[in-house]
Amino acid sequence: MLSVQGLSKRFGGVVAASKVHLQVKPGEILAVIGPNGAGKSTLLNLLSGLLRPDEGRIEFLGKEITQAPPEVRTWKGLGRAFQIVQPFPEMTVWENLLVGALYGKPNTSLRVAEQVVKEVIGLTGLLSKAQTLAGELTLLEDKRLELARALCTRPRLLLLDEVMAGLRPAEALEAVELVRRIRDSGVTVLFIEHLMPVVQALADRVVVMDYGQVIAEGTYHEVAANPKVREAYLGRAS
Amino acid sequence: MILAGLLLLLALVLPGLPLGEWRAFLLDTAQFAFLISALALAWDLLARTGQLSLAHGAFFGLGAYAAALTAPPMGTLLALLIGGIVAASFSLLLGLATLRLHGMYFAIATLAFSEVMRTLVLKATFTGGAIGLPVQPAFGGALPLGSYYLAVAVLALATGVSLLLGKSRLHYAMAATRQGEAVARVLGVPVVRVKLLAFMISAFLAGLAGGVYAMKTLFLSPYDAFGLGRAVEALVISIFGGLYTTTGPLLGGLIIVSLETWLRLRIGEGYLVVYGVILVLSILFLPKGLVGLFHRKGVGHA
Repeated sequence: MLSVQGLSKRFGGVVAASKVHLQVKPGEILAVIGPNGAGKSTLLNLLSGLLRPDEGRIEFLGKEITQAPPEVRTWKGLGRAFQIVQPFPEMTVWENLLVGALYGKPNTSLRVAEQVVKEVIGLTGLLSKAQTLAGELTLLEDKRLELARALCTRPRLLLLDEVMAGLRPAEALEAVELVRRIRDSGVTVLFIEHLMPVVQALADRVVVMDYGQVIAEGTYHEVAANPKVREAYLGRAS
Repeated sequence: MILAGLLLLLALVLPGLPLGEWRAFLLDTAQFAFLISALALAWDLLARTGQLSLAHGAFFGLGAYAAALTAPPMGTLLALLIGGIVAASFSLLLGLATLRLHGMYFAIATLAFSEVMRTLVLKATFTGGAIGLPVQPAFGGALPLGSYYLAVAVLALATGVSLLLGKSRLHYAMAATRQGEAVARVLGVPVVRVKLLAFMISAFLAGLAGGVYAMKTLFLSPYDAFGLGRAVEALVISIFGGLYTTTGPLLGGLIIVSLETWLRLRIGEGYLVVYGVILVLSILFLPKGLVGLFHRKGVGHA
């Protein structure tokens, strides 16, 4: 579904992504983990088009999108939810979702977009907040809105950037359920996460990054047993 | 919406009312208020994408000069259209050059553009330069109220476009661009196209208003037509009336221009002081403008 080959990005002297190879298969939930500064968010920005790579190639559904601007990637079915939730504060929840529904696919009429919002708002449990200003939501509601807005663009592959960060365990559990429901509705998911229980509960496959490189790949238990991964998280035992 | 309709209806029948000895003065003031309100409505359209323009005085001036220069061979209506198109074309160039600028930097770039345009018109010979440019009255003077009704028409058009955009798909794209450009792009909003389109529509309307202004004053000078004060007035009116709305700039424009004219009559130059105090008070106590008094949630369609 998504194929990343030799992707690199430097900021001055810092190598944020170095020859990253990655495959996302249709229908799976793939987790990207790694210590702080490992380059996970940079990878996501490269995938969603907010950053352009220095070298490498990104293919989505068989077509190259390496240089495509963010909106074109969204139209092709690559959705994204942000780590730091950024709702449009002067719009209601309903209007926020409507933006995603209207512009996620070109030439969507208001009528069709409202239908999309109606479906998504039910799925994400935001119906009672439809007319609330997005600037007045709680953190959990913000996170739901962020997810819902991305869903409104009708993605085939959804990129989630630490959407559980800051949630209480019970809330995180709820969010895990939500991501599962999203996958079951036919959306492939790539997510970045710090909370290991969440990774264990959700991921079909895990990719571990450190210093901008992919250092391990496999099931949760495989990577958890990998000495390189332990080293990356706990430091070198010398 | 109903209010906008009533105001426009009133504008239409105003010349027929028994206005007494003040008739000519009142109609002249009203006409000026219509044009400045149209300019404020145009300015607000661009503001909806988060771009604060100080170039609207220049678009007004470009429309005024273009219409004044093309009216003799082309006729009034075609000349006005050309004025709008010239303003829109310049806005496209300015928009392309300033795409990456936000907030204050964008404002400064538009300010520079405005000054450059004024200097060019001042130095050029075909514009009459510093001496100024006499302008033919609308329709060759055949209709005494010609330019008055043109002003009503331009105001009606600006109001209509503003209302229409407020109900369209574009409304959401513009508001999203203003409130979070990067997020808007990731959600699929073609931010560049949205900004340029808003800029061109906005400048076109400003140019139209300028063209009618030329046919009303019958004389243009670069200092008047390209004055920075006009862009500032459009900004002040929109903030006073209520940003990102139709009723706000429309009502705000009529009130502010009337107030300004009345104060100028009563206390001469001192009017600026009173004007300033009223504005400071309204910004302090009416942060959402006049329409904020009838507050509704969301990006609204007030």
